[in-house]
Amino acid sequence: MNDIYLAKTTQSPEVDFRFKEHVLSMTGEAYPENANDFFHPILNALENYLASNDGKDIEFNFRLTYFNSAATKMLFNMFDLLNESAASSNRIVLNWYHDEEDDTILEFGEGVQDDFQALEFRAIATTSA
Amino acid sequence: MHNEIPKENEPEIKSEDMAASLSEIEAEYVASSLIRKSPAVLPAQSNEEVLQLLAQHTDVVGLPVVEDSKPIGMINRSIFMDEMAKPFRRELYSRKSCIAFMDKQPLVVDGRMSIQELSFKVVAAGNKALKDGFIITAPSGEYAGVGTGEDLMQVIANLQAEKNRLVMESINYASVIQKSFLRSARRDLEASLHDYFIHWEPRDRVGGDYYFCKKFDDGFFIALIDCTGHGVPGAFMTLIMAAFLDHLLQNDNRMDPAGALSAMNRKVKIALGQIEEMNISHLGEAEHSDDGMDTAFCWVNPSAGKMVYAGAKTPLFLLPKGSDEITVVDGDKKGVGYVETPMDYAWTNKEVALPEGISVYLTTDGIIDQIGGPKSIAFGKKRFSKLILEHCSLPMMEQKGRIMQAFYEYQGSQRRRDDVSFLGFRI
Repeated sequence: MNDIYLAKTTQSPEVDFRFKEHVLSMTGEAYPENANDFFHPILNALENYLASNDGKDIEFNFRLTYFNSAATKMLFNMFDLLNESAASSNRIVLNWYHDEEDDTILEFGEGVQDDFQALEFRAIATTSA
Repeated sequence: MHNEIPKENEPEIKSEDMAASLSEIEAEYVASSLIRKSPAVLPAQSNEEVLQLLAQHTDVVGLPVVEDSKPIGMINRSIFMDEMAKPFRRELYSRKSCIAFMDKQPLVVDGRMSIQELSFKVVAAGNKALKDGFIITAPSGEYAGVGTGEDLMQVIANLQAEKNRLVMESINYASVIQKSFLRSARRDLEASLHDYFIHWEPRDRVGGDYYFCKKFDDGFFIALIDCTGHGVPGAFMTLIMAAFLDHLLQNDNRMDPAGALSAMNRKVKIALGQIEEMNISHLGEAEHSDDGMDTAFCWVNPSAGKMVYAGAKTPLFLLPKGSDEITVVDGDKKGVGYVETPMDYAWTNKEVALPEGISVYLTTDGIIDQIGGPKSIAFGKKRFSKLILEHCSLPMMEQKGRIMQAFYEYQGSQRRRDDVSFLGFRI
């Protein structure tokens, strides 16, 4: 299983999926012109990775500061994949990074926590600019 | 307001005109439009003759070599001059064939080639095609002339400008249509309220945000709508939604916003084929649509001092007269029409008392989620509520000015992320 690395652009996040280390990170903003085109390959790879692993400790570092509604739907698909895997085979920690003053991202994270209960959700407040 | 969706069999004159003119423009711009009449030499001609030709035609950079009317190479002025300047070269080569110093693989293109394809070829050929130019042939393959990198750049710039102009004209006209759809909502708002504001600011001239107002004898129905997407696709969605909503909202269901949301949900899902079993793939196939709207639907009866609110991921902000705290009424967590929203999903009506002097605000996520400030984080509900409190004693129109000013300052040099809509009224 090959790792995925996509560099950050103005409208799309850095994607750093280190499948071999079981550490997956997403950083930046997500409002690509076509959310489907951007997320489809990423979600496919993630689905394959999760299906071919069992009993692993997986860490997902979520560091997005903005995502539009189309990207939000894709992110929910992603959390769905993670949640299903966490409910059946792997242990998955979702590290939810947010600026200490960013109530919007924190509130969204709390919604994710409610909706995807198999994930071990950890809100992490950051102070840097 | 009679917003009918055009029937499928009606000719779409506008879009066809548009397509024709775009392709016409592209058809005009082919490689042969770049042909410059340039001297050419035959392989039988000597280097001495080439020297003379280059001296006569000082603007020629690349000199094509043509054999039996077909191009076989190109002589570059500076390479040729350098070679001939070397010791004994003139003595050795002056009377020999000019193919000695020619580039045997110049870029040769058919005159019918599109400018786009040509520009990719020129780039792929590297520096030499841009500098020396390239050879253009007739359909028969015979030599027709040369083209220069400079002329190509000029044509690409013109083509780009022309295309931009067409697209902008089209979007500007789309904006006229979208605004005219809002006119009746404005008229009914004006007739229903005394102290209110509406701020509608699509990110790209047209957008997926929309507001709706329909006046009845005993009150008015108001909605703030955020359709998926922005720009032209977003605007398409708003017109679909506006037509559906105007059609289904009648006297007998005006007091049931939750019911209206359910009816809209069914209509959108059926119209766009967004039914779960039709979208089998978990990840959503690229060709399937998954569009809908987040919105707040409100039935407002000022004389009875109450309103009924039903929300799809769009909260209601309330500020009673004299209060120093904003009350947020949250809607339900499902959007309208999306694949994941069940066909029979039921939203909830929430009755809200409207004592005299209470202020009511609605906004789409464009303000709350906008990135800005020193930390480049979202504007946020806290900041939004604080701003309303700060300016709540002002007339509504003035509040809008102050709040939007603060929003623009927060956004600073950040790009606008989404369409922005914001409305407020005082009873």
